[in-house]
Amino acid sequence: MNFEAVIGLEIHVEQKTRSKMFSSAPDGFSHEPNTEIAPLDMGYPGTLPVINKQAVINAIRVANALHMTIDHTLYFDRKNYFYSDLPKGYQITQQNRPIGKNGYVIIETEEGSKRIGIERIHMEEDTCKQLHFLDYTLLDYNRAGVPLVEIVSLPEMHSGTEAMKYAEAIRNIVVYSGTSDGKMEEGSLRCDTNVSIRPIGQKEFGTKVEIKNINSFKNIELAIDYEIQRQSKLLLSGEPVHQETRRFDETSGRTILMRAKSDAVDYKYFCEPNLTPIKLSDGFVDEAIRTCPELFEAKKERYLKGGLSSTDAEIILSDPKMSAYFEEGGSQVVSLKDLANFLIVEINGYLNRSGKAIDEIGLKPSVLAEIVLLQEKGGLSHKQCADILAKVLENPSLTPAEAKEALHIVAQVSDTGAIMGFVNQALEANPQSIVDFKAGKDRALGFLVGQVMKLSHGKVNPAEVSRLLLEELKKR
Amino acid sequence: MDVLKDAANRLLFDMSVEQYKTLYEEFQILTKQMETIGKIEGLESYEPMTFPFDCSTSFLREDVAEEPLTRDEALRNAGNKQDNQIKLPKVVL
Amino acid sequence: MKHLDLPLLDLHQALLAKQVTPLALAEEAIKRAKANKDNAFEIIDEEGAKTFAASLGEPEADNPLWGIPYFSKDNFSTKGLETTASSNILAGYIPVFDATVIAKLKERKAVLLGKTTLDELAMGGTGTTGHKGKTYNPYDSKHEHMIGGSSCGSAAAVAASIVPFALGSDTGDSVRKPASYAGLVGMKPTWGRISRYGLFPFAPSLDHVGYFTRDVYGSAVLLDALAGRDLHDNTSSTKPVDKYEEDLNKPVKGLKVAVLKEIVDSITDRELRAHFDKSVEALKKQGVVVEYVSFSRQLLESCYATYIVISCAEATSNDANLDGIKFGPYRGGKTYQEVMYNARTQGFSELIKRRFVIGSYCLMRENQEELFLRAQRNRAKIVDEVNKILQTYDFIYVPAAPGPAPLFVQASDKLSDEYLIADNHLCLGNFAGLPSITLPLCYERGLPIGVNFMGRAFEEKKLFQISAAFERLSGLAEASALSAKEAKL
Repeated sequence: MNFEAVIGLEIHVEQKTRSKMFSSAPDGFSHEPNTEIAPLDMGYPGTLPVINKQAVINAIRVANALHMTIDHTLYFDRKNYFYSDLPKGYQITQQNRPIGKNGYVIIETEEGSKRIGIERIHMEEDTCKQLHFLDYTLLDYNRAGVPLVEIVSLPEMHSGTEAMKYAEAIRNIVVYSGTSDGKMEEGSLRCDTNVSIRPIGQKEFGTKVEIKNINSFKNIELAIDYEIQRQSKLLLSGEPVHQETRRFDETSGRTILMRAKSDAVDYKYFCEPNLTPIKLSDGFVDEAIRTCPELFEAKKERYLKGGLSSTDAEIILSDPKMSAYFEEGGSQVVSLKDLANFLIVEINGYLNRSGKAIDEIGLKPSVLAEIVLLQEKGGLSHKQCADILAKVLENPSLTPAEAKEALHIVAQVSDTGAIMGFVNQALEANPQSIVDFKAGKDRALGFLVGQVMKLSHGKVNPAEVSRLLLEELKKR
Repeated sequence: MDVLKDAANRLLFDMSVEQYKTLYEEFQILTKQMETIGKIEGLESYEPMTFPFDCSTSFLREDVAEEPLTRDEALRNAGNKQDNQIKLPKVVL
Repeated sequence: MKHLDLPLLDLHQALLAKQVTPLALAEEAIKRAKANKDNAFEIIDEEGAKTFAASLGEPEADNPLWGIPYFSKDNFSTKGLETTASSNILAGYIPVFDATVIAKLKERKAVLLGKTTLDELAMGGTGTTGHKGKTYNPYDSKHEHMIGGSSCGSAAAVAASIVPFALGSDTGDSVRKPASYAGLVGMKPTWGRISRYGLFPFAPSLDHVGYFTRDVYGSAVLLDALAGRDLHDNTSSTKPVDKYEEDLNKPVKGLKVAVLKEIVDSITDRELRAHFDKSVEALKKQGVVVEYVSFSRQLLESCYATYIVISCAEATSNDANLDGIKFGPYRGGKTYQEVMYNARTQGFSELIKRRFVIGSYCLMRENQEELFLRAQRNRAKIVDEVNKILQTYDFIYVPAAPGPAPLFVQASDKLSDEYLIADNHLCLGNFAGLPSITLPLCYERGLPIGVNFMGRAFEEKKLFQISAAFERLSGLAEASALSAKEAKL
């Protein structure tokens, strides 16, 4: 029996605004526990929420990038439950009137482009952090109240790969819109997924299993693939799939039962009485969209036009800092492709070896551009430029010109006429070598090449010299 | 009665038996009165009211971080602390 | 008579003339507070008050609150001063921020002397459910009659002439009812007129900051100081603040008043009826148009249940933060649920727990439509009807209570089938968010009874105008338990 997997993703994105969603406490600058708290964030009695404008602007931009219908009035609700990480005993969220509805994102699969529907996007606030020890838990409220954006997809994905690509597409949007760092391993992008399978052709959905605790994009694919296998095996052996919550265990590559799903919790949602509806003017919404930083897809299109391959473009775009670096340098070189090559090969190699990020290596884009120009217009070979680059990276106080000097690098003469000049000079000066060569002594050629190199102070391409010498020797 | 006890426990407290009895009586009265209200003519044509009048605004707070509480202030009232954090028995996920 | 007993305007003059100092006033007030037997105080901050009073420099001529001592209900957050909302679950809680109104009064150089008792977490109307027990009525030295609630302590402090004003809060009638029982001016402005930042929430869609004074002038100047947009409170109004004492002497001829027939007719207390009728005549003599208007009896009878459902539902959510973990006594436990459970079981009184269960039940998915949402719809209908009347009339005018303060033995916080619409109509002012003021009318067997005017949203200036006129007619400005006045109406 063949099964079809039906997958939906729920993604929570931590916004990197300067202050929190409903309070003015700083958002995410400190690593010292309990140093970024306003009274509201700890649920002190008498505190009141006030909405962060930038958080709304970011949510509008993301909703727009996802082609969603945007609600021009903000309504908030309370989601009531007790948990150790929830200081007020309720979370302020947007249950009934999410800021965005009915959107989609396009992912590239092996079968071509695919549209994944998105049900809703809404704003809410984060809970505090819990650190678990053997027999106690410690609470850090720095994170409590940080703005979150929740994006809920329709169950329209059918494989782990599709889900991973969907999540990456979401990541690209939230990162490039300036909304979030979008790092799963740091928790600024969190992904829960619902997976069910059904016999192909069946209309009813199978039993849904929730998977949590996925901490990388690759693991989304692995977790879902494993889960599909697990459920298939169960059904094939006549066992039912139970509705439950499982977590992904990276080491074993398996999903493991966390808890059986009990009846859906009743959150007793009701309208938040401390937040009157906020009317967003058309101008405000349009401005938020208009001023959105250029997104991933638009940049990629530009890079492709500049001659980059799709893969190269995506490598550069995988890190917004590198993309910004690339764009700044790109305005100063002849060909984007040349600059891209240096970034992808030499720079990335250096970053990997040194463990640094591109903004930590002390190399301005204009300086790298200078080096690229040495290749494009200065007559140096790629290798020569790479050597200069390596020297400058080692010693950032050197300019490329100084590094070139220090390495005794010289632009190669490529003009055939000029080379012939040296060739003829060498031949005139060494008539015996011509005789030797004609007598079959191959070493004579090498000697003559060496003489040409000496005459030209090594400024000529040895292979080219050899070729021209041979031609000339044939004539004589 | 069990429903009420369950509701109380979900709110993370318990009451004495007499109190549940009193509560039960109060419930009877309240439900009866709400049933009567349900019969008020034209009630369905009204939207549930949270705010007494139209007080919608367009005000949004500028995204500027302000001075937070000092750690001491934030934790001053907590009864159980360790390592600059609030301490609880191990929370089982 | 001491300076502390002067009307606010005269006291201000005395301070300007340096006939008395803020420190002397504070000391006298504290002395009276300590001697008072009505169990009205949670905490008296003698040192803090005296230090602040002594630090005030030159008196400010244009600031009638300069140097004036006051008390605040203990559900307002006061930085560095224990605030418990009269509940054991907040015993020892010391806030790290001031409520906006507290900060504003500090800026105005009023001197905070301490905090007064309330019904626990402001959820009650008898003044008996606070963790310190009953608060008594200064008009009854036998301590048999209540002062009402939930702002019992603040009412007692002003009625006993301990301070010229005290802060309270009003969610269903918690300032305006005790004001009636204590012969005071009890004011609740429009919803959003005064910032609620720092007021422990009971039911935010019904909560208002309110206060007690012994005269209308004091009430008006206090609103000058407290009203205004607060960036900490999203629901606070952006409407400009008036000079509320401007029209106190303006003639009231031509103002239109609607008396709700059903409420007045339901009052069986003949003496009260007689006084009320006399007041209507007196208003008419001033040129005020007073007409009896009908208000659906069915809707009036639905008020109490509607109020209970909405307020308890919001309250149960608001008080979910009280878990002994971040503040309040930590009671321990083997799991976090047990920690919360122990704190809440031991910290809340029985009445509060019952209210929370009711509130929670009304919000449950399967009950929300028939309970919570239905109550919210009924609120909308009631508000619609109130506003219809106020399209034609400037005010609604009714007795604030069906009689003087009940005996403790008579009253209970238990939900009852017995229904007095004259006892449960002040919540119209909370449902509709309209400004509403209680003024003393008369005495019965030495116990005060008040009347209530309710006006249109943000028309507090007009409300004070009619109140001042009424006060001149009643002759009861400055009445207190220590200083009897003759009721002229």
